[in-house]
Amino acid sequence: MTYRLGIDIGGTFTDFALFNEADGSFAIHKQLTTPDDPSRAVLAGTATLLARHGLDLAAVVEIVHGTTLVTNAVIERKGARTGMLTTRGFRDILDMAREKRYDVFDLRLVFPDPLVPRRLRAEVDERCHYDGSVEIPLDLAGAQTALRGLVEEHGIESLAICLLHGYANPSHERALREMAAAAYPHLMVSLSSEVSPEWREFERFTTTSINAFTQPMFDQYLGRLETGLGQLGFTGRLFVMSSSGGTLTPETARRFPVRVIESGPAAGAQMSAFHGRALNQPELLSFDMGGTTAKGALIRGGAAIKVYHQEIARAHDFKAGSGLPVQSPVIDMIEIGAGGGSIAEVDVRGTIRVGPRSAGADPGPACYGQGGTTATLTDANLVLGYLDPGFFLGGAMALNMGAAEQVITQQIAGPLEISLARAAWGIHEIINEDVARAFRIHASERGFDYRGSSMVAFGGSGPVHAMGVARKLGIPRVIFPVAAGVMSALGLLASPLNFEVARTRQAFVADLAQADLAATFAALEAEAMAPLTAAGLSPDALSISWRLDMRYHGQGHEIEVSLPPGIHVDALPAIFREHYAAVHGAALLDAPLVITTWKAEASAAPPELATARPTATGEATPKGSRQAYFAAGYVTTPVYDRYGLGVGAVIDGPALIEERESTVVIGIGDRVQVDEFGNLVAELAGKSVANGEASP
Amino acid sequence: MTIAAKSEDTLDAVSVGIMWDRLVAISDEIVTTLVRTSFSTIVSESYDLTVALMDGDGQLMAQGTYSVPVFMGTAPATLQHMLKRFPADSLQPGDVVITNDPWLGTGHTFDINVMRPVFQDGRITAYVMSITHLPDIGGLGFGAAAREIYHEGLRLPVCKLFDAGQCNDFIIELMRNNVRAADQVIGDLMANVTATKAGETMLADFLVEYGLTDFTALSHEIRGRSEAATRQRIGQMADGTYRNEIQIEGVDGPLTLACRIDITGDSMTVDFAGTAPSVRQGINVPFCYTRAMVLYSMKCLTVPELANNGGSVVPITVTAPTGCLLDAQPPSPTGARHMIGHFVSPLVFGALAGAVPDRIQADCGMMDLMTFQGTHRDGHEVSTIYFASGGFGALAGLDGAETTPGPSNMAVVPVEVWETLTSTTVERKMLLPDTGGAGASRGGLGQEVVIRNDSKHLLTVFCMANRTEFPPLGLMGGGPGRVREHRVNEVMVDPKGYYELAPGDRITMVEAGGGGYGDPAERPRAAILADLAEGFITPMGATRDYGLDHPE
Repeated sequence: MTYRLGIDIGGTFTDFALFNEADGSFAIHKQLTTPDDPSRAVLAGTATLLARHGLDLAAVVEIVHGTTLVTNAVIERKGARTGMLTTRGFRDILDMAREKRYDVFDLRLVFPDPLVPRRLRAEVDERCHYDGSVEIPLDLAGAQTALRGLVEEHGIESLAICLLHGYANPSHERALREMAAAAYPHLMVSLSSEVSPEWREFERFTTTSINAFTQPMFDQYLGRLETGLGQLGFTGRLFVMSSSGGTLTPETARRFPVRVIESGPAAGAQMSAFHGRALNQPELLSFDMGGTTAKGALIRGGAAIKVYHQEIARAHDFKAGSGLPVQSPVIDMIEIGAGGGSIAEVDVRGTIRVGPRSAGADPGPACYGQGGTTATLTDANLVLGYLDPGFFLGGAMALNMGAAEQVITQQIAGPLEISLARAAWGIHEIINEDVARAFRIHASERGFDYRGSSMVAFGGSGPVHAMGVARKLGIPRVIFPVAAGVMSALGLLASPLNFEVARTRQAFVADLAQADLAATFAALEAEAMAPLTAAGLSPDALSISWRLDMRYHGQGHEIEVSLPPGIHVDALPAIFREHYAAVHGAALLDAPLVITTWKAEASAAPPELATARPTATGEATPKGSRQAYFAAGYVTTPVYDRYGLGVGAVIDGPALIEERESTVVIGIGDRVQVDEFGNLVAELAGKSVANGEASP
Repeated sequence: MTIAAKSEDTLDAVSVGIMWDRLVAISDEIVTTLVRTSFSTIVSESYDLTVALMDGDGQLMAQGTYSVPVFMGTAPATLQHMLKRFPADSLQPGDVVITNDPWLGTGHTFDINVMRPVFQDGRITAYVMSITHLPDIGGLGFGAAAREIYHEGLRLPVCKLFDAGQCNDFIIELMRNNVRAADQVIGDLMANVTATKAGETMLADFLVEYGLTDFTALSHEIRGRSEAATRQRIGQMADGTYRNEIQIEGVDGPLTLACRIDITGDSMTVDFAGTAPSVRQGINVPFCYTRAMVLYSMKCLTVPELANNGGSVVPITVTAPTGCLLDAQPPSPTGARHMIGHFVSPLVFGALAGAVPDRIQADCGMMDLMTFQGTHRDGHEVSTIYFASGGFGALAGLDGAETTPGPSNMAVVPVEVWETLTSTTVERKMLLPDTGGAGASRGGLGQEVVIRNDSKHLLTVFCMANRTEFPPLGLMGGGPGRVREHRVNEVMVDPKGYYELAPGDRITMVEAGGGGYGDPAERPRAAILADLAEGFITPMGATRDYGLDHPE
């Protein structure tokens, strides 16, 4: 029998999903994350899980790994001492940033410091133009002197080489790498022309500096992991999850740690897409809500929407624009500062505001009894009866109802002169509104009509809020997938080996020769396929996709256009117009068409994840009941054990369905059914307008 | 647990908070529709736009959070002008009313104001207004060159673009005949129409979802709470009369801007008596714009965290002498009204230094906008705006950010994009050490940008630079930032002129630094040494500005 193992490191837990290829059964495990060295939890959890099932690690042919290590290193600024070589005259690009305020009303706005401080950036004499031509040849001797200063005086451990128009002509960056390798063989080097060969120097330089900053740490981490797994008897292949929903070989991940930044959330979104395909629901909203943040993604045509830019380590209240830009392929995630630990307070308007400040896991919500003194979302959900004080985390942690009631009364209900229940309900509902708003704006910006689609909800707090959010969005159906507690770990096993390359090269479509188009894509394809063929895959086994960023001449924004590989240049205008109309409406301009960035993606076939279907059937029988708040008051609500529900079981709301990691809250009039895979599929009742608000 | 179900008022703090957030979200969602369906970069990249939601009485209940400062609170006044021409009881579903009149709208002919009434059961429950800066409106084009408003292109009175859903093609044809880049202009106009339509749908759905028949009570509650929050913050300011007077650069010489602010309890009045009369250049400011800049500045000082609505502005009264620069009358030209209008912010901040020293900001180096027109090396036409920012002004305990614009906002065009689009070469783009005003908090640094004309064609550059004679001032003992200058082939040139660059010619922009805040002697030694290590100040600057001994 052969097995595949998915391991996802989260902030609190490291999740494991062990999949039996032969019978489709899977086993799951959670291990407390060990932040000082996350590989410890990975190795210990792996050993524990296998021992529990009497298995040898040799039976595991493949491990797929997701981790927040790279993001955390940037947020906590715990990376290598990093230097930069750049074109003379452009040393300050990182400090100047976008020359834009992300909030025009807050005069005290703050921007993140560059990862490479100015004193560790040195200029070299060289200059290339946008067409790749060289105006000033590279002064290698001068560059060597500059590098010597960075290494020997400043002690840099990693180097980012970021030259202007490096994407158009990488020869100077490569020559600098050779020079650096000869002079300092142990110095790690990241080239902007390889990490992010797209135009926009601030974004590319920042992306490259993040890569360089995290590379030594990530390399050592993977080394420890490989050694440790080897010692446990692992002889299979290790893959690392990327932000874009594909997996990478460890070699590729070592070169490009910046591509691993959102690997956990990407795996969650991939799993949502997987469920959507299995349930024939190609249009989905993926909604994941945990202790401090909520993440959303849109699934279109069975695949998560991808973009080529994101922002990490936001310096200011999750505000877009306050973080560091990353220009590399990533699943287009919404990040909202809303989670179980989000702190509720009375704002300047005399209304309730929740988050983005969070009590985190320590001290955590007041009801944790660990010294938390602020009212949080989890406290509210406890007071509303959605959470069972005796069955949190499957009973592993007792919640203190009295403490929750006290903080909400003191901090919210008292000042606003409303009842405790109303205050708790307000906290709950404000979060629903915040999440719904984020989805609305995100979908609207992308021209995504979600009204007929379904939502997939997971994470510790996601199932508590999903029905309320869906109701606000007018979404008719919410899917609570089986094994939602280890969604990302499972998603790792549903993701194909994949690599993509995007390179900027401006071309007017009218002037573009067919041979040029074919040659450009052929070169990109070869670049995208290389890491996969190096991992032993046959080129015939890879699927290739082509995409272009295009725009009308004079417009500032590109739109991404998907092309069938092998397409003729004459077909481009019609395809562009079709995409343009889908995003912008029908009106069209009579302006020349310009290609800005070329993209090729190579992908192995998605792995089979044919999970065994549950066999138990039967009617639902509550394990008990408790008072829970719905619409405008507390009602006696039956409580079910999710693991005791058989296929086909139907439950009419109100109802609470508990599993170890979360509770599914089903409102009055809603109906939920267990499908053939063991997922809970909830249909929303018609919109309720009682008391000016919808019920959860 | 036995907490009795309790029926509570529909509009308690919980309901108001949720519905209020939702209205703001609706205005933001309309903005995304506007951005997505627009054609020009001025909308999609610069966000030179706003969306406002008014209730059935015309009161502003929500405004999009992305609004640029100059559109603060103009929409309700514009709506009243529109209703004067087309009374509410004469409007029908499907009507769309527009105007770009500088005195009825937002201060120059470039801004189109597009309004749609929202009906429910045969009566108007709300008005949606969308405003964007059009790519062109005819006349001399964007700039300060006009001598009278008639040079500034098409000036549409209040008129119906759609009458009960029927488009008035005459207006479309009239615009097509009078503007450059007509496709983009009409495209953006129609994007506004589409956006207001989206808003109509969302507002109607809102009423149904929450079981309301109109917005009146909710709007009243929202505005009341906003007014109370603003009054509370004004109440924390020391009562008194505060004055300020500054000199700024006009086209033909210095101009004086003056203000007097009276804070009495929880309200304030702002008057601009003493300000120079309007001039025969397109830099005059209609009062609507002046008021918007005051409201924006006061919002920064009072409740910046609150999305704007009609309540926030009630405690603030703004007046100006008729015919002065800040209340220019027709036929004064107003095209580049921002050149003067942006100074309203530093003018009132400077005045309030004594009232709220911990909130005000030292002067910003402000932005530098110039239009480049010529021909790309590949033969395509080039007509585009270059933008570079000076340093941000310092605040109490917070250094000004380097190269960050204020009070208005834009985003830089990356060098790599700029060079590709224009076939010019940016020889360098560097921070200028020592240009930020010294202070306990240092002003943000300015920069130097050198652009060489490699297009092989003549390249014309139109400039509207400020801060070239009068530097960004420091506050509370902080020093001034460095002034701005423009050079062509290393020779200083008129910062508000236009130049023709032959192939190989260079233009150099030196961008102003932000003003410092507080006595430089109070700057922590560690901060001075850190600036020195990073090169944000030079050893000479450290000694001169901060009295640092042996900075080496």
